[in-house]
Amino acid sequence: MISLIFFLAIGALLFLSLFLLARRKPRAEGSSGALVEARQALTALQDGLLPAALVRRVFAKEDWEYVRSEAPKAVRELFVDERRSLAILWLTQVRAQIRSLGRFHRGTARHYANLNPRLELRLAVSFAALTGACSVLQVLVYVGGPYVAPRMVGAVAGALQGACKISEESLAFLNAARLGTLAGATRS
Amino acid sequence: MDVEQAARDLRNRTLSDIPRSLDRLIYLASMRDYNTGLYYHDGLASRFTQEVACEALAQCHREAFTQLVGCSLRDLVGQMEGYIDSTHTSPRDFVAAWKKLEPYRVAVPVETDPVSAQLLFSSFKIALAILETRLPSVLAQSSA
Repeated sequence: MISLIFFLAIGALLFLSLFLLARRKPRAEGSSGALVEARQALTALQDGLLPAALVRRVFAKEDWEYVRSEAPKAVRELFVDERRSLAILWLTQVRAQIRSLGRFHRGTARHYANLNPRLELRLAVSFAALTGACSVLQVLVYVGGPYVAPRMVGAVAGALQGACKISEESLAFLNAARLGTLAGATRS
Repeated sequence: MDVEQAARDLRNRTLSDIPRSLDRLIYLASMRDYNTGLYYHDGLASRFTQEVACEALAQCHREAFTQLVGCSLRDLVGQMEGYIDSTHTSPRDFVAAWKKLEPYRVAVPVETDPVSAQLLFSSFKIALAILETRLPSVLAQSSA
């Protein structure tokens, strides 16, 4: 009898927990913060880090050929160090923004964005693969210099532009005016 | 609309006389008050308003920055040689001062993304190192 009451009590507790969990609404403040962060990450990627002109310049082999033909060894070494640091900075920033956007799509997007589960899964896989590719590239660039894997850099930038486009469509409802309101709400 | 007009006016009347993007970047950065981040140009402000002139200058500053970031290293070195010539400073003094003070760091527009800014700083550093290696030959030419 005692054990029956004990198990009934545990069952009632579990049921109550499930009921409370199901009723819980996402916190408005956290959600709007996540939306603003996602939009900022998308803008940073599309306008700041992924424009072809910038990627081309960071990894421009013509600059290396110029330095190799014109400058002594010390300047060549300086050039390689500088461009290596720059390439790693680019990869670090890209990786950070992908992670931020990925976090949003994993956690909050379903409350707002007009995504179907298949598309969400595709985005999640893309972001995970791109984060991994950036990590691999960071190691390659650190070890072999900025010109070690130009095709991989191009492939990452291209794939990321595609993923950003999907993400952008899902965030299209968040226009500038709405973003300003949400940013204000997050700050206050 | 006014800002576009003011920017066009600035390009036609002033910036067209400054062909190198490096010179334009330095000129436009010098129009900015370091304490407030606002740009001032009396002529432009008298034709438009102070706010419009400020935004037009900021827009042209961003354009000059984008153009310079897009330049190859060879082009940047060429532009720096031209700029040194135009300042009538001794190349040795110029290179020493720029290496020490890094004045280009305050010439970038606000809200520039860190990778673009770092790309330009890095290119300036390498360009200065290349120009420094050319100094002895410049001196030899002048003494010959």
